[in-house]
Amino acid sequence: MNTTTKTIVWVVVILAVIWVGYSLIKSSEQSSTGPIKIGFIGPLTGDAANIGQSSRAAIELATDEINKAGGINGRNLEVIYEDGQCTGQVASNAANKLINVDKVPVILGGLCSGETSSFAGAAEQAKTVVLSYCSSAPAITNAGDYIFRDYPSDLYQGAYAADYIYTNLGKKKVAVLYAKSDWGNGIKDVFSKKFKELGGTIVAEEGYEQTSRDLRTQLTKIKAVNPELVYFLGYTEASIPGIKQAKELGLNIPLFGGDAWDDTKIWQDAGTAGEGAMYTVVYTPLTEEYKNKMGDNAATVCAPQAYDAAHLISEVMKKIGTKTEDIKNELYNTVYTQGVSSEEIKFDSNGDLVGANYIIKVVRNGKAEELK
Amino acid sequence: MDIIPQVAVNSIIAGSIYALVAFGFNLIFSTTKFFNLSHGIVIVFGGYIVFFLSRNLELNLGISIPLGIIAAGGLGFLLEKIIFLPLRKKKSSNMILLVASLGAFAVIQAVISILFTNQFTSLSSGNISKTYSAYSAFFTETQIFLVITTILILVFLSVALEKTFLGKAYKAISDDEEVAKIVGINTDKIIGYVFFIGSALAGITGIFMGFDTGLEPSMGLPLLLKGIIASIVGGLGNIYGGFLGAFVLGFAENFGIIKISSEWKDAIAFTILILFLIFRPKGIINK
Repeated sequence: MNTTTKTIVWVVVILAVIWVGYSLIKSSEQSSTGPIKIGFIGPLTGDAANIGQSSRAAIELATDEINKAGGINGRNLEVIYEDGQCTGQVASNAANKLINVDKVPVILGGLCSGETSSFAGAAEQAKTVVLSYCSSAPAITNAGDYIFRDYPSDLYQGAYAADYIYTNLGKKKVAVLYAKSDWGNGIKDVFSKKFKELGGTIVAEEGYEQTSRDLRTQLTKIKAVNPELVYFLGYTEASIPGIKQAKELGLNIPLFGGDAWDDTKIWQDAGTAGEGAMYTVVYTPLTEEYKNKMGDNAATVCAPQAYDAAHLISEVMKKIGTKTEDIKNELYNTVYTQGVSSEEIKFDSNGDLVGANYIIKVVRNGKAEELK
Repeated sequence: MDIIPQVAVNSIIAGSIYALVAFGFNLIFSTTKFFNLSHGIVIVFGGYIVFFLSRNLELNLGISIPLGIIAAGGLGFLLEKIIFLPLRKKKSSNMILLVASLGAFAVIQAVISILFTNQFTSLSSGNISKTYSAYSAFFTETQIFLVITTILILVFLSVALEKTFLGKAYKAISDDEEVAKIVGINTDKIIGYVFFIGSALAGITGIFMGFDTGLEPSMGLPLLLKGIIASIVGGLGNIYGGFLGAFVLGFAENFGIIKISSEWKDAIAFTILILFLIFRPKGIINK
């Protein structure tokens, strides 16, 4: 190697080092001008896609309102939407992209509990704030310091459902049919424990793969043990055929579901088979203004929480800027009262929403309405 | 309540669906000798064509169902002429054909997702179909049609294979394509027909799925896998074998989970596959 080549090699090496160093420094924080970019993760395709799309619409609406009102201290809010497909693996890839490539300070999401659990660790390590608008699995409580949710943990929902079914409906023998996911497993455990404590019996517990659409044999087994009610924890895509198959098999007992049933699509598609089905859902004090702006999506579960999450984060960033550690600390002290998803949004020391009110909805003529 | 009759009915329904998948898959496999994975998406395509015609264009089901079957057949035929035939002419290995069919699968699935969204839809417009019961087992009108259609197709195929020129040419090609060519059979043309018929059967499967359970773009692969397992268990490339294998699989899956928890359903299917691959790789009907 002659001297000229050596010099060239050295120059190249030095330039490379400077460039890498510069880009590391530069990328350690988003630029301080231009729009503030935050991430979104939710199922835009696959299971629960209808809920994901409505949540996206809600966040788009919120972003629009924030930017029209002057943005965050003069800077626009921009959301990068990533599809998590209600699956851990896919959501984890999406989160890695948001954390490492886009360097977002905040991720709104994921929607499904399985999504959020899959990337909570990575986000915690990268000190990226995660604010889930829909994940309810009890396990997420201990996911980390940077992990928040403005959706209540299923510790409340499972217990509430058990109490309602036992006390108000007077059913003592119940079968549980649940999706094998963080969400389904989580509620099932809480529900079964509480229901047994109350004095009831769980006559069957049947799980199914989240992607399964043929639940006939599970339902046949359930029918054989003569329960008085089926507690059916499924997402939209399995619930539609599942509800129909239950009726086709002559299972004429009440069906009771979880918050994922708060999706208008299920009741449109299930038709007469869905009549009389009941489910628990978080009480949301929706304003008329929100309902008008959201149109058809207004009735869907999680969209109000998504809408509030975007507003809440922008309020926090207005106050203390975009440093993730500050955002995290501020969130623990925030009490947000202008929301449509809850009278008051406040986080406990685990980043969980404090308090939860549930209501029961019942399906009549293909539409879910509140049972008073 | 006795659970056995209902589980038997569930098994027959599942078996019929698997058999329909296996028929088409086996027909194509026995002439071309490669695993045509794009068969899975042709199933979905057939269902969605009927969905499009009956929902978006509001055509009568009597018109849209035959059109859906023909469209699925046409798609299979096109895939053969555009992708598989040129590859075979280049003497590509079966592995390359398999990868090409997987590619076609992915592309068509993406197109279906874009056009119809990924959401779950159903061909039966919101209402459960008429239900019958016998011996404490319940079944719907659609399911009766499904089982009858499956048996009719088996009869039709077995007659067609014995009595028609196409059937004889098909058998000659599946024995040895080169020899068939030498005796003057236009093998490319016959294989084209076989793709059309096999894919039309896939279309029928998709349409039944649409009425009985529902449609979504991602349902192709799991269905195809069950069809392939049925084929291997019964005897690869043999339509009777595929039929038998499908029912063995349907019964094993559904009866298997009476005593154990039902999330083991798929595990049972694959255990059977592995057992057959080890102990009887040529399947129940050993050619």
